[in-house]
Amino acid sequence: MLSLKIAARFLKSSPGQSALIIAGIAVGIATQIFVGSLITSLQADLIDAAVGSSPHITLLPGDGASTVPGTAATTASKSELLVATAIPVRTLSAIYTSGEDSVPLSIAGGDATDLGLIYNLEDRMVSGTYRLGAGEALVGTVFAAKYDVGPGDPLELLLPDGTMAEFTVSGVFDLGQATANERVAFVDAASAADALGLADDEYTAIQIQLTDVFASTEVADRLGSDNDVTATDWQEENAELLSGLAAQSGSSIMIQVFVLVAVALGIASTLAISAVQKTRQIGILKAIGMGDGAAGRIFLWQAALLGAGGTLGGIALGYALIWGFSFAPVPFSIRPEPTFIAISAGIGITVALLSSIIPARSTSRLDPIEVIQNG
Amino acid sequence: MADLLVVDAIEKVYGEGSAATRALSGVSFTVAEGEFASIVGQSGSGKSTLLNLIGLLDTPTSGRVTLTGENTTALGRAGRARLRNEALGFVFQFHYLLPEFSVWENLTMPVQIARRTVSGEERDRALETLALLGLEGLERKNANQLSGGQKQRVAIGRALMNRPKLILADEPTGNLDTANTEAVYELFRTINAELGTTFLIVTHDRVVAQQTDRILEVRDGELVQDVRNDYAG
Repeated sequence: MLSLKIAARFLKSSPGQSALIIAGIAVGIATQIFVGSLITSLQADLIDAAVGSSPHITLLPGDGASTVPGTAATTASKSELLVATAIPVRTLSAIYTSGEDSVPLSIAGGDATDLGLIYNLEDRMVSGTYRLGAGEALVGTVFAAKYDVGPGDPLELLLPDGTMAEFTVSGVFDLGQATANERVAFVDAASAADALGLADDEYTAIQIQLTDVFASTEVADRLGSDNDVTATDWQEENAELLSGLAAQSGSSIMIQVFVLVAVALGIASTLAISAVQKTRQIGILKAIGMGDGAAGRIFLWQAALLGAGGTLGGIALGYALIWGFSFAPVPFSIRPEPTFIAISAGIGITVALLSSIIPARSTSRLDPIEVIQNG
Repeated sequence: MADLLVVDAIEKVYGEGSAATRALSGVSFTVAEGEFASIVGQSGSGKSTLLNLIGLLDTPTSGRVTLTGENTTALGRAGRARLRNEALGFVFQFHYLLPEFSVWENLTMPVQIARRTVSGEERDRALETLALLGLEGLERKNANQLSGGQKQRVAIGRALMNRPKLILADEPTGNLDTANTEAVYELFRTINAELGTTFLIVTHDRVVAQQTDRILEVRDGELVQDVRNDYAG
């Protein structure tokens, strides 16, 4: 461990130089942590807003069929570990008329508890009660405001078969999307069955949420081939969003890579200068018997110490930046991921060690005679 | 006494072809254990080149250097580094202390390089060396806080630390005043007498050489004289 001791002493003997490079590494790692966490959190929020409260996969009737059995939900839950929730629903279109205005509504009929699992309705109620008794309906905030409808008001709908059905609004929800808040309504399962003329075990779709939203395509493929149903997943319907997220990830990674390259160049140049500054000391250490490997390790240790110090400082600075960001007037917060920060720390120290290769090699090759002869 | 050092027909040529310069040519001699000898010569005579080859800091173009029975020309860089640490002690004109370390750390550096923690025996030896060099109480001082003479004495102490068989000194008093110069040579003599350490001192100063028991003279890269000095000491 003599190499470590000498490395620490060399760094201590040039405190200003050491502090500057540690600060440089810290700023680089903090930038990486902040930008990485910002993009990850932003994307998580965007994905949550897009699909957090909607089905990730929808199983529709297969070829030639008009309904799916309710048991298909149980089958999907049992066959796929990634399925968090699978519920049978009855979907239909209806038209609401108010004076001269008429608006199409997409109705989902199902058990209130089941629908709550997919749409997280209980937390999204803004007025009224989260309840779907016989003949009751939940409507969105935009619809409620536009047509002046609220809890307890009647809701008359024109059904596909031309008949009228009357519901009572039990509550108003906010799904976080204006279109959904205007065009989506929920009714109880029995009323939807009556409107569609379906038996107790007949449904129009199975709606599924997964524990990993990005596994939807492969799970949908399996469910679609294993069961007599047609499976669609959210990624098919949100290709533009996904390509936007991919572009964002790409630019984020580019920024992080360039920051790390700048950090690596900073450490390498500092260590190269240090190697020149300490040539005399290295030469005399070799003259009195230090081996080439041990001499080279002095700069490896210097890099490790600088990397560790800079990385720790960078993590602290990164957290401080994230904390500071919490006061910014933006509608989302950055959630630092411990795994990402651990990876950033690992990358920081690895980059530091790689940066020491050139000075370590030149030091290990140094001939003591060069120092002794040149004084 | 047994031969500690055998220098056998060594040559050193720098450069190649028409640019080749012959620094040493067919130099042979032996040094027995416990000798107190000097190598003299004018500047550029090849005496420092000879010392560098004996000190395993450089390798001869041809010929052989045998130290403590080991053929050093057959050794690689690692082997030469090990032998420098175990069998040799260096004292140069410039002290070459490590300014980042204390007197104690500089003194015990050869022990630490040998991948050892300083043992109780070595600690006692270091304290004895400090006493011998008149450096008691300065252990914790930084090397930069010492005077020129003190620094050179620490460098001598460092050379002694591993109890080497041979101490090579290249103009060791070149940067010292007369009083310090005399003190250093007295110290060398004391160490030689008390510890039996062999000394080979390179100097251009014949007055200094006159204080050694044997004088080897190098001129134009050749050993031209090898005489006993019965008037020394």
